[in-house]
Amino acid sequence: MTTTTIHIPTLETERLILRAHTLADFDAIAGFYASDRSKFVGGPMSAELAWRNMSQEAGHWVLQGFGRWILEEKATGKTVGMVGLWYPAGFPERELGYDLYEGATGKGYATEAATAARAYAYDVLGWTTVISLIAKDNAASIAVATRMGAKADGTFPHERFGETIIMRHPSPEGLS
Amino acid sequence: MSTLTVQQMLNSERLIMRAPQASDLQAYQAYCASPRSSFVGGPFDTAKAFEKFTAMAGHWIVRGFGRYVMLKDGIAIGHVGPLCMDESVAPEFTWTLWDGAYEGQGYATEAASTVWQHLTNDCQWKEMVIRIVPDNTKSCRIAERLGAILTDEAAPVWYPDSVTYRLYAGAA
Repeated sequence: MTTTTIHIPTLETERLILRAHTLADFDAIAGFYASDRSKFVGGPMSAELAWRNMSQEAGHWVLQGFGRWILEEKATGKTVGMVGLWYPAGFPERELGYDLYEGATGKGYATEAATAARAYAYDVLGWTTVISLIAKDNAASIAVATRMGAKADGTFPHERFGETIIMRHPSPEGLS
Repeated sequence: MSTLTVQQMLNSERLIMRAPQASDLQAYQAYCASPRSSFVGGPFDTAKAFEKFTAMAGHWIVRGFGRYVMLKDGIAIGHVGPLCMDESVAPEFTWTLWDGAYEGQGYATEAASTVWQHLTNDCQWKEMVIRIVPDNTKSCRIAERLGAILTDEAAPVWYPDSVTYRLYAGAA
């Protein structure tokens, strides 16, 4: 028997690097989850729960072979968010999720990174569809999905996020 | 804590211990749904069990060490190893058999002792903490067999009824 080595690929966009989680990201992640900005994704929460959350994000790659990436701002090296592909037990289908941390909003980073993650899902993993599950009051996040061409396709009662809107992204054919 | 590499796979006489994999999830979820998980706050539904197992797997990625899945004849029967939520305190050592059918045969002791030997001998770890609810007498016995010392430290808020043992390199 051999051990499985998990390969978490690095992606690059114009202004961002999408990469694996490291311990050095924890302060940024804990800061996000301590803030009101996390209210649409199960927060605010304690540092201990944020730590578990970071482990879960990394471990999702082990269990599913895909997951979310840390967003690193090229210009500063700062950890500015988390974006990627997510399908834990209990989700209705595979999801494209994005969180931006304090000070990183209003620059188009979520759209830029989520577009790269969606391209990875379609081009590398061969997915034919993907949704974004968004808390119904999270207007900024719904705007990002809409900008990416996604359309409302029903609702889903999320255990912690509350009632969410299913935003379905265009298929690979629909994008080409 | 040392930076010496913690092996992702260890062998003992009867068991293989390796980092968690997707193929272990079903057995882990069955354990989480069973009354056996009541010592650690369970039972947990499949979604919660998935979250817990991703956290266990991700700990390896983030920290470079973590808890192993114990395999007996290729079957995942439990988990064992170090857990570190807070770098300012000694890592916690945990072990759990997922299915009662494997109890009473020394597997948890064998696994825990193999992991502890690796961490102290090969990685030069000095100290770990073990928290057990006292009703879990079998687990207390394993801690004692490893050479852990029962302390009178207060239980942490997240595990209120537990007692704390400390295990030091060179003990037993």
